[in-house]
Amino acid sequence: MDRRTFVKASCLGSAGLFLGFDPNAPGQENVTLPEPPPIEVHGLPQAKHSPLGMPGLFPGRVVELSDPKSILRNRVSQPIVGRMIEQGMKELTGESSLRGAWSRFIEPIDVVGIKINPSGAPACCSSPEIVREIIGGLQSVGVPARNIIVYDRYGYEIDVGSYQALLPPGVFVVGIQDGFVDAAGYDPNVYCEANFFGEWETRSYMASIVAHRLTKIINVPTMKDHSASGVTGCLKNLGYGTFNNVARSHRAPYSFTDPLIGVMCSIEPLRSKAVLHIMDGMRQVWHGGPLTQVQDFIYQAGTLVLGTDPVAMDTVELEVIEKKRRKEGAPSVWDRDPKSITENYDAFFHDPSKNLFYRRPGHIAAAGKLGLGVADLKQIDHRRIAA
Amino acid sequence: MTQNAKPSVAETDWVTLLNDNARTGGQGIRPTHAPSKTRWQFRTGSSIRSAPILRNGILYVTCIAGSLHAIDVTSGRAKWKFPVAQQVHSTPSFYGDKVLFGCDDGKVYAVDCISGAKIWESSTGGEVWTSPVARSGVVFFGSADAQVYAVEAATGRGRWTQQLGGRIYSTAYAAEKQIYVGCGDGRVYSLDASSGKILWSTATGNGIDSSPAVVGDTIVIGSEDFYVYAMDANTGAVRWKYETGLGIASSPAVLSDLVVVGSKEGYLYALDIPTGQLRWKTRASDVITSPPVFGERVVCIQSGGTAAFDITTGTQVWRAGLGGAVQSVPVLAGDAIYVASLNGEVYGLE
Repeated sequence: MDRRTFVKASCLGSAGLFLGFDPNAPGQENVTLPEPPPIEVHGLPQAKHSPLGMPGLFPGRVVELSDPKSILRNRVSQPIVGRMIEQGMKELTGESSLRGAWSRFIEPIDVVGIKINPSGAPACCSSPEIVREIIGGLQSVGVPARNIIVYDRYGYEIDVGSYQALLPPGVFVVGIQDGFVDAAGYDPNVYCEANFFGEWETRSYMASIVAHRLTKIINVPTMKDHSASGVTGCLKNLGYGTFNNVARSHRAPYSFTDPLIGVMCSIEPLRSKAVLHIMDGMRQVWHGGPLTQVQDFIYQAGTLVLGTDPVAMDTVELEVIEKKRRKEGAPSVWDRDPKSITENYDAFFHDPSKNLFYRRPGHIAAAGKLGLGVADLKQIDHRRIAA
Repeated sequence: MTQNAKPSVAETDWVTLLNDNARTGGQGIRPTHAPSKTRWQFRTGSSIRSAPILRNGILYVTCIAGSLHAIDVTSGRAKWKFPVAQQVHSTPSFYGDKVLFGCDDGKVYAVDCISGAKIWESSTGGEVWTSPVARSGVVFFGSADAQVYAVEAATGRGRWTQQLGGRIYSTAYAAEKQIYVGCGDGRVYSLDASSGKILWSTATGNGIDSSPAVVGDTIVIGSEDFYVYAMDANTGAVRWKYETGLGIASSPAVLSDLVVVGSKEGYLYALDIPTGQLRWKTRASDVITSPPVFGERVVCIQSGGTAAFDITTGTQVWRAGLGGAVQSVPVLAGDAIYVASLNGEVYGLE
């Protein structure tokens, strides 16, 4: 099967309108954002589509759990997040037991990747406590520790989160890439190609571990504002954590994260292997993401969001971040006011009215158009469970 | 309380993590000045996430691509390079004429410090990120397979192993009769040095990435539960604990009755060892995971550059842009400072 495909920008553009952004609304200073170039997609030829793949077993279903006691004085409670994951997994799947819930996604023969997000470590990253519970769930259905691989792009970011020390023995903790230009861990035959800004390397390659070694992926994103993409959630954690050379998609003040993030997530075998998303909202970043360490913009929400549909989950997350920004008097992530743009990183990190890019959260709706999930809030089965 | 096994140590030598087994970081014997220029720059070719060590004018540094480099500090040129099969995160240490370091292939290697030839290797069941520590002819190290190993320094032959409750990324402290080490299960362990038997263990609130320092009969160590702990070395009883703003991966440096340690929220904390009282705290960077080291009247830290702070007040004395790593430690060697960077560069600063 030839999976070489061109994704036309025209079918994915203007996604902001789909989610309610009106560039002509009063108070909005209009800028004309450049149209994204065509993106050539080259998936793994022998990859088979799985019904477990995105949007997965439960399209449009989002289970959100909140417990203020799950994070106290910035420490995540292991027993409480364990109970939240159990409750959430049962609600998501309709199974009566936790083991039964995990069995809907995972078989003992699987080699399972847990895609963490350590890029904001230590202030806001995938909580080791949640990763431990996921490892426990995988082991409960018979996956041996040696077939569990916790991974992300940069090993040095994983180091800062101390994941190596905090996870159970036998589990592998892998940083795919050790330098910014290191391509050793990537498959040269699986890539997407686009020339955004005249960059010298126009391809982004899929991590070999994803293309070849893993059979399933559990995605553990965080809930953050993102200076280029609006939010970083399921889709961005998966797409930009699986492919290399992704920073080229945004050059201040413009960003082509929309549509690149969704396009990357649609590429096989990534699409079929990502079977479950457990979004860590213990800590949430409402400004300065993804790397901020400024505690003023990080709040301890004590939330977990579970689902198989990354588009629906990110749509819910976008609403949460937007609501928080409104409450704090910060402009919308859809803001297009040129006066909000700064080249000063210090200003960006400390002033929530400033940003480095015109954010492009339309990548979520664009991913919906690619069939990865449901982007319309009215069609999302959003189940809220409070402690 | 320097306890390395080498009988005589030249003044500029820097023999293991934080200078010596007591983690003193070179206090009192190293005049330390703000670096004024770069004497040389050495490119290893891959990321460095460990700290260099120094002996007899040769700097030894491991890098992620899987190699140990020996660098002549006069010229900044390579003496030799010892390649291994997988990544290396372990800070090397010395025992006699051997350089010891761990590897992600699960082995600890002993390499001749002059020729770069392998003398022995010792296998474990998980990656070894810790720094091997030697005392009285025995090398001690922890592995990600949750075991502490004791092997003969001369041959690498195993003496004993001891299973703990979690992965071990904390470098052991070897006292005369006891080994102290932190563990991913959140406990601090004391092991009998001759048999490996667990003498006591004390729980903290989360896993431990930090390495212990010992002053008299007090152990000081950080935990991912945000606390710095002082424990009785004989019983494990907690004497005091001090809360910081985030987890602690940094290892404490001790000087007389002062301990300095970094927390991941970017602050350095100086605490009184007998009481646990705060003497000062200062913001050093956005993030600290590496250990501080003492120089003359200053404490140095590598994090977003290399900086020195007044030992009595915490006021910043100087800051250099080089050494942008959060996993390495500067080597203070008299009129020179050697720093390794995340991007793989090693600098000799004058």
